[in-house]
Amino acid sequence: MKSKTDISPQELTERLQAGDMTRRDFHKMLAAAGIAMVATPVLSRSALAAPADQATYFTWGGYDIPELFAPYIESHGEPPNFAAFGGTEEALTKLMGGFVIDVAHPCNAGLPRWISSGLFRPFDLDQLSNWDDIIPALRTLEGAVQEDGTYFAPMDWGQTSITYREDLFDLQGAEESWGMLWDERYAGQIGVIASAGDTWWCATIFAGVDFNDMTTDENFDKVASLLRQQRPLIRMYTDDVTTLEQALASGELVAAMTWNSSPVDLKRQDVPVRWANPVEGALTWVCGAVMHKDAPNPERAHQVIDSLISVDTGRFIIDEYGYGHSNAKAFDEVSDERLAELGLTRTPSDMLDAGKFQIPLPEEFTSRMNAEFEQIKAGF
Amino acid sequence: MTQTHDSLSGRLYALFLRSEPVRGFALLSPTLLIMLAGMCIPFAILVAMSFWTQHVFEFDTTFSLTNYNEIVDKPMYRVLLTRSLVISGACTVATVLLAYPMAYYVAFHVHRHKMVWIVLMTLPFWSSYLLRVFAWKIILGYNGAINSSFMGLGWLEKPLEFLLYSPTAVVITLTHAWAAFAILPIYVSLEKIDRSLLEAATDLGDGPVKRFIGVTLPLSLPGIIAASLLIFIPTVGDFVTPALVGGPDGAMIANLIQVQFGRINNWPMGAALSLAMMVIIAVISLLYIWTARRFTEYGR
Repeated sequence: MKSKTDISPQELTERLQAGDMTRRDFHKMLAAAGIAMVATPVLSRSALAAPADQATYFTWGGYDIPELFAPYIESHGEPPNFAAFGGTEEALTKLMGGFVIDVAHPCNAGLPRWISSGLFRPFDLDQLSNWDDIIPALRTLEGAVQEDGTYFAPMDWGQTSITYREDLFDLQGAEESWGMLWDERYAGQIGVIASAGDTWWCATIFAGVDFNDMTTDENFDKVASLLRQQRPLIRMYTDDVTTLEQALASGELVAAMTWNSSPVDLKRQDVPVRWANPVEGALTWVCGAVMHKDAPNPERAHQVIDSLISVDTGRFIIDEYGYGHSNAKAFDEVSDERLAELGLTRTPSDMLDAGKFQIPLPEEFTSRMNAEFEQIKAGF
Repeated sequence: MTQTHDSLSGRLYALFLRSEPVRGFALLSPTLLIMLAGMCIPFAILVAMSFWTQHVFEFDTTFSLTNYNEIVDKPMYRVLLTRSLVISGACTVATVLLAYPMAYYVAFHVHRHKMVWIVLMTLPFWSSYLLRVFAWKIILGYNGAINSSFMGLGWLEKPLEFLLYSPTAVVITLTHAWAAFAILPIYVSLEKIDRSLLEAATDLGDGPVKRFIGVTLPLSLPGIIAASLLIFIPTVGDFVTPALVGGPDGAMIANLIQVQFGRINNWPMGAALSLAMMVIIAVISLLYIWTARRFTEYGR
């Protein structure tokens, strides 16, 4: 028999309407609901909990998906555990604060800063079966190789550029340029990435400053004033590219700073967008894997990295996300037409040379740049 | 050996039984330990850290007032602090104004199933805070519920942009999110009012308005004060709502504190900002309580 407290919502409303429920009954039911609510997290904790024996991969939001780990899943039955971040600065601070993971996903501009934190260890290259397929030029990025070994396995590379609505943004015959994000005609309809790690660099390109000279006071002020000039035009600063994509799809934004995956995603949804090739050059970068020195599970950490640089993962990253991949063989899996559609070439050096390639910066400058950009975003 | 040990523990046990304070502290000890480990020690670290300075990855632990000087000197901190106080103030006023009639209705005009009414009014609280913020994002959005229905009715040519990513959006979202915290204390204070006082006022010739201003409102002030503080104090430091619906002009001080501990990586500055915020909120709350108390005393 059903107890008095065990009734459906419909019954509840009926009985409430009929007045056929004493206050005590009602309290009993509330108590039951309360206990259920309090108990839920405890009861389901074992189900939600990350499997303890899998390696943990700390990565950009969007890379925390099983599709990148086919070889790993094959040998372990399930993907590694994931923790996501929205920017590498935030991620490094979290790691400095004592967050221990197995593998993390920084990018080349921050690499020397990451390695100098002393939080990472060199790989045992014998455990990385796909290492020899990695495009050689990407193996020796600044900071990647130290005296005691290789610390960084390149994985994905791509560009930061502008995704804009063909139907809403009128170029008036002008060439695609970073100036599109400074176009006063579209005040309040422009979005950029909230991290100085992208936005400051793009403004540096627009200012015509060479990356090698960007640390001088004069150039710092020049870029800062450009960003200040841009601030009133900005509808949103966000670390979450999905927010930018949704706003582009709805027409709230007409142009936004994004990475390669956004136009690919939006075109798949039939939103009329274009991926700009700015005349000043797009910002190009390489991201990849580093391994924590206290990785609880070094063997599986190597397997995570080996999965990331595998042909399978490469094909997925190229075809689904529109990024380049470090595994040379991965490009053989994708047709020429598809590559052209995505704006990629088989020789990454073509693309990296055509754009402005991010370089590592001194730590003091990075801190100063981050602080200044936060101030600009706040309106000062 | 064993014997000395026994006698020692025996003496300790006797002391324990004899001394009332010791027994009291022993009973309190689990709570005290948690308070000490979870509140006092972190707070002390926060205070100490706010006088340090950050050098890239390391803390310079020599005593320095740099962080506090910067808070006073740089207009950004002042403006964000003021904005946070203004937004929370507006949200507090709006919440109390909206909650009062609801609480009033239940206290005076509902006679059966009051509990059901109260539960129904707090129903939004049964869903996650984050979910409610996202719900407002959908309602206020560029092609959200308000804009698309108004455009569908032909009242608008193009969507209203100030609805989302603005301080207004933050106030609206916070007001809705904290409504129950205002309804409950106000309801309790209204419910406690002795109905014979109202009858006496009517007998002495007061109309409904005069009776409300002369009797009901002053007697419900404790509820209003409690509700205001309950809403004002936590909302000044709210971080999620401005981050999701605030846009560039709706950012609040908590967002800045968060980036100090994150992207900017200047923990001492973050600590100093947190403490500055805490002190300002405490001063405002004390002033508020003090004025409110004076006011109620004069009212009598």
